[in-house]
Amino acid sequence: MAEAPSLITGESKAGDWRNYERVILPPVKDLHKIEVYEEDGGYSALKAVVKDGKFDPAALTDEVKASGLRGRGGAGFSTGLKWSFMPPVDPEKPRYLCCNGDESEPGTFKDRQIFEYNPHLMIEGIILACYAMTIKTCYLYIRGEYIDYVHHVQKAVDEAYAKGYIGKNILGTDFSTNIVVHYGAGAYICGEETSLMESLEGHRAYPRIKPPFPAQSGCWGMPTTINNVETLACVPLIVNRGAAWFSGIGPERHPGPVLYGISGHINKPGVYEFPTGMLIRDLIEVAGGVRGGKSVKAVVPGGSSTPPLTWDMAKDATMDTETLREAGSSMGTAGLCILDEDTDMVAFTRRIAHFYHHESCGQCTPCRDGTGWLEKLLSRIESGEGYTRDLDLLLEICDQMEGRTVCALADAAAWPVRWGIRRFRDEFAARCKADSFASSEQGDGSVEAQPVL
Amino acid sequence: MTQPTNGSLLQPDYVPGEPVERHFADADLVWTDDEQKQIATFRSEYPTNDGAVMKVLWMAQNKFSWLPPDVIQFVANTIEVPYAKVYGVATFYTQYFKEKKGKFVLDICTCFGCQVCGGYDILHYLEEKLGIEKGQTTDDGLFTIQEAECLGACGSAPMLQVTNGPYVHNLTKEKVDGLIVDLKADKMPGFQSVTLPQDETDLGGNRRSDTEAVTEYQTPPVSETIH
Repeated sequence: MAEAPSLITGESKAGDWRNYERVILPPVKDLHKIEVYEEDGGYSALKAVVKDGKFDPAALTDEVKASGLRGRGGAGFSTGLKWSFMPPVDPEKPRYLCCNGDESEPGTFKDRQIFEYNPHLMIEGIILACYAMTIKTCYLYIRGEYIDYVHHVQKAVDEAYAKGYIGKNILGTDFSTNIVVHYGAGAYICGEETSLMESLEGHRAYPRIKPPFPAQSGCWGMPTTINNVETLACVPLIVNRGAAWFSGIGPERHPGPVLYGISGHINKPGVYEFPTGMLIRDLIEVAGGVRGGKSVKAVVPGGSSTPPLTWDMAKDATMDTETLREAGSSMGTAGLCILDEDTDMVAFTRRIAHFYHHESCGQCTPCRDGTGWLEKLLSRIESGEGYTRDLDLLLEICDQMEGRTVCALADAAAWPVRWGIRRFRDEFAARCKADSFASSEQGDGSVEAQPVL
Repeated sequence: MTQPTNGSLLQPDYVPGEPVERHFADADLVWTDDEQKQIATFRSEYPTNDGAVMKVLWMAQNKFSWLPPDVIQFVANTIEVPYAKVYGVATFYTQYFKEKKGKFVLDICTCFGCQVCGGYDILHYLEEKLGIEKGQTTDDGLFTIQEAECLGACGSAPMLQVTNGPYVHNLTKEKVDGLIVDLKADKMPGFQSVTLPQDETDLGGNRRSDTEAVTEYQTPPVSETIH
């Protein structure tokens, strides 16, 4: 088989992004108000589909599938395909949609802008998704820290109820659906779909083993679909402008508009809307360049769990799933953190390990204990008390964690450590003491060859 | 919904073991009519009793400022769920306070987005200023400092959250000083809208006209601790 050509070409895949017209957060003042949103063409997709019959549920699912929309929450799974996994409607069985607004991945802050600036786009998307899957209840799960934004969203939901866009007999048709705004209380793990459902049911948020997948047995054992806020916000755009328009934005296999959250050592941090497939270089340029004109040491392309890239790996890479996979990381939530040349990668990696240790739910031993050991060892190295052999021990712990737990939190915790050490090993090793007893004499005069902990 | 009767509230016949620790008097452990109505709404939103647990725990925390065992028992009785289940939920989530905290809980984000922009500087500055370490409460019971995990505002780092409520963005030492003065005068910070950088060019600033406090994204300060 011929080797596929490299995707890391150093060419932007975002087309004419400099003249890109924003659609998720269009430049319209006070768009969060329902009157302004309606004036701007809001809820027209809902009218076209639910009232005028532009699409029946199956056709709407096909349209979303054809658009190539992929989940914006991290996994990048095809949204239309996910919707088509829902079993046929059984009038005896309720079905649920969960809109995942937990957004706890460090480095990610895009959904918050949708809650504040364009909540009605998300609400319209939720109702359209409910229509496509014939769902009568949607739970909108927002993290507890965003309590101010929960109030914003609740207000928007109430307005939409008052206008008849949600509730019984939407726009005078026989289609009814409800949105319940649910808020958490500070647990990263709730962003994992099965754990989100546990949390919704009022339990400790322990992830469930899959299968059964949520489409078979989700909330309260009923068929459930879980989509990210930004994913659902794309749905009205697809209905209004067509699947071909959507799939024409950015690279073919991962198209559409994306909210990039850019943070770290950058002059103008914040959320930027651009097509997928933007060069990381270009994103740094639009965000005003690196603070103090320094050079970049590393880029975390999609939130804490995506492996950090060295600048050599990142400078020609574009922000889409396939290219980033080839570059050695993943798209995640498109929350980029730019780290300049002076960044202490050991302290940085230690802080990520601390995060995962704090947020491990404690259900599976490899993760509960493994995250703790990662943090302990990295703290030891950071304080200058670590040994070179600790680096291999860390990698071994990562081996023991990855793929051995119910959910992917253990993997997410292990990746930044594994790749941080692999890619910045010199920096880690420089902080370590040489192995203490690798060649030390034993009591009987023999020399211990293999250090054993 | 019936108001749980206080006589049997904390020592119902069916709970084995020792009675729960008391921090509030029976007379305090009641819901007002408005609160009962709110709880009834919450319960109607979920197919099971358990579903409303998180929202009712939030209500209880806002009312009693923390969740000691007797308040947890009170919540359990209110929504007719076993104490152990409610206790399990309350202890799983970090935002539910299982210990008594200061009047203002300052959650300083030090997760990596804030770390590289000076989150630890702000944390250490506050520790020094208030004379306590993270996790502790000042003697006057006003302030508790906590190290928080990512609060989802990496673009306006470093930042903090005041008592599970408003965010304060783009922190500097001067801003922290001002915040402490305000809080001592019992003035909570209001909601701050943060502009989008693209709006600054397209809309000449913030897109909202109904928010008083607007913060611009700004070049993050240089951290003293990570370099």
